[in-house]
Amino acid sequence: MAPRLPAHCWRQLLVRPTSSSPTTPSTLTRATLPSTTATSAATLPYTQSRTVKSGWSTLPTRFKPHRFNQTTSGLPVPTAGPAASLKRKERTTPVRAGVLATKKGMTVYMGRTGARIACTVLQLDRVQTVLNKTKAKHGYWAVQVGMGERLAGNVTAPMLGYYEAKGIAPKEVLAEFRVRNEKGLLPVGVQLLPDWFHVGQRVDVRSNSRGMGFAGGMKRHGFAGQEASHGNSRNHRTIGTTGPSQGSGARVLPGKKMPGRMGNQRVTIQNLPVLLTDNELGIVVVKGCVAGPKGAVIKIQDACKKDPPSDAHIDKTKKLLEERFPEAEAYLQAARERHLELKEARREKRIEELMTEQADAIEHVIAATAREDATTAAA
Amino acid sequence: MNVAPLARRPLGCLKASLRQARQQKMFTRHIATEAAQTTTTTTTTPQPPLEHSFFRLNDRKTKTLRTAFAVYPNTTVAGKTVAPAPVNVVQSLHEVQIAKMDPTGARTALFAKTREAAKPGDVLMVTHRRGGEPFAGVCLSIRRRGIDTAVLLRNHLSKIGVEMWFKVYNKNVAGIEIVKRRPKRARRARLTYMRQPKHDFGSVDDLVFAWKRSRRVFTSGKPTAAAAAAAAKGAKGAVAAKKK
Repeated sequence: MAPRLPAHCWRQLLVRPTSSSPTTPSTLTRATLPSTTATSAATLPYTQSRTVKSGWSTLPTRFKPHRFNQTTSGLPVPTAGPAASLKRKERTTPVRAGVLATKKGMTVYMGRTGARIACTVLQLDRVQTVLNKTKAKHGYWAVQVGMGERLAGNVTAPMLGYYEAKGIAPKEVLAEFRVRNEKGLLPVGVQLLPDWFHVGQRVDVRSNSRGMGFAGGMKRHGFAGQEASHGNSRNHRTIGTTGPSQGSGARVLPGKKMPGRMGNQRVTIQNLPVLLTDNELGIVVVKGCVAGPKGAVIKIQDACKKDPPSDAHIDKTKKLLEERFPEAEAYLQAARERHLELKEARREKRIEELMTEQADAIEHVIAATAREDATTAAA
Repeated sequence: MNVAPLARRPLGCLKASLRQARQQKMFTRHIATEAAQTTTTTTTTPQPPLEHSFFRLNDRKTKTLRTAFAVYPNTTVAGKTVAPAPVNVVQSLHEVQIAKMDPTGARTALFAKTREAAKPGDVLMVTHRRGGEPFAGVCLSIRRRGIDTAVLLRNHLSKIGVEMWFKVYNKNVAGIEIVKRRPKRARRARLTYMRQPKHDFGSVDDLVFAWKRSRRVFTSGKPTAAAAAAAAKGAKGAVAAKKK
């Protein structure tokens, strides 16, 4: 059935100038309007042919106008779909982005009043914001953060281009932190230091647990095993039966606990208090233990089941970012322009010229300084 | 642009006509201010220098340059130089905490690996901050773990062997004193054999009693003076006897 649109809409569609047609992406196929308006070639397509190149998005797909999907239809707001999902998760999504860290080991924290608290030391190594993800473009709000360093030879060419466009050295790890809304987005390229968190606040700590390999039922699920004696033969650590016999199904129920790969899973420890932060050492000390071996990559973010840090603290940390990196925006812009220049050069096979140009410039500078040194020495 | 809506604009609509007039007015204003705008020089903020090297990607067969990417130095963040994260942070954290919990260095000195320090086999007495009877016993082992350094003492209370761990840097430990040194250095780091009946040291109460009496003889009996005297003697090695 034809969409229930007001008459003037149809009229407007008919008189739309045809000059807009070249701007439509080539991946979109032209759809024809039903019945009377089939002659109009200027309308936007209703359907989209999906290919490998069309990518992935959580944005709502282009839908056909229908009497049920009009805003005037009077139907309730859908409770499923990307928008509803974001709305549902809004309350448990942290306000701020988190940081990446490396687990350095466990030790104790001695309190002034004699308390002795087991704690884990997490170190932040040049943690930088890399990308902001927005609802309009990506379907959700998030900040991509990178940590550490990686040799350029161990980075793929697409990622080299990605870092080049941001003026950032290749990172060892990249990770995304979901934030509640656009207020949680950060300037790109700035460094996050341990004072991003304050002492006493609660954080959620995520990491991969230590991998145990293929483990038996006793180790993996705490099964009791079997007797050591009383005629038992070579079945001391086996799991025994996996289900009832004929008459009650005679099958293994789905989800039956069995031997298999153990560990190396994402583990979240919620609501760990922060005991200490130190910018010079670059460490955040949290109470208790964190999954994974030493050297494991850890994600730290404000606890989602507690109140977010106070507005004063959030403002303070944002202001600190601006104070520490006042030229971040200009630097990013310059890097982008340089990237476009290099990209064009790569396309036109001129990149070698640019490389020699730069090398010449460097040589020139070195020669100039050497000359200056010589003149000063002579004087 | 917007040709179609203008074409369908109803005649005689006062609002739309006025709007058009307003648009024209803005246009004329724009022309008037155009000359003034060109005279003003726009000051652009100086862009930070971009220092980067190139990473070459060569063709595998011909070994010639295929493409290259700019790679920025990993010690630069948004145009500012930053240092890589320091190594051995856990050790540094220990040092920071020890400086805080033991400002005089007495506790560190007592269990350092020096000739004067306490060793396994010595009889030690630990005073607790929250009051109660001080615990004395033979030191069976010293567990050196930075801020978490601890000693294991063994004694007999009413003929039953009792062992207790004490965290050296804990604020609850008010003081540790050496009651009696072992005459000969123990040849083990952990004297677990002393738990066997054959090697058991038994109760150290007599030793502690004698040590306390000797201290009283040398001093006037005031606890602070006693501690000072003991510290001054050095041979007794009483340290960290500070009480709040």
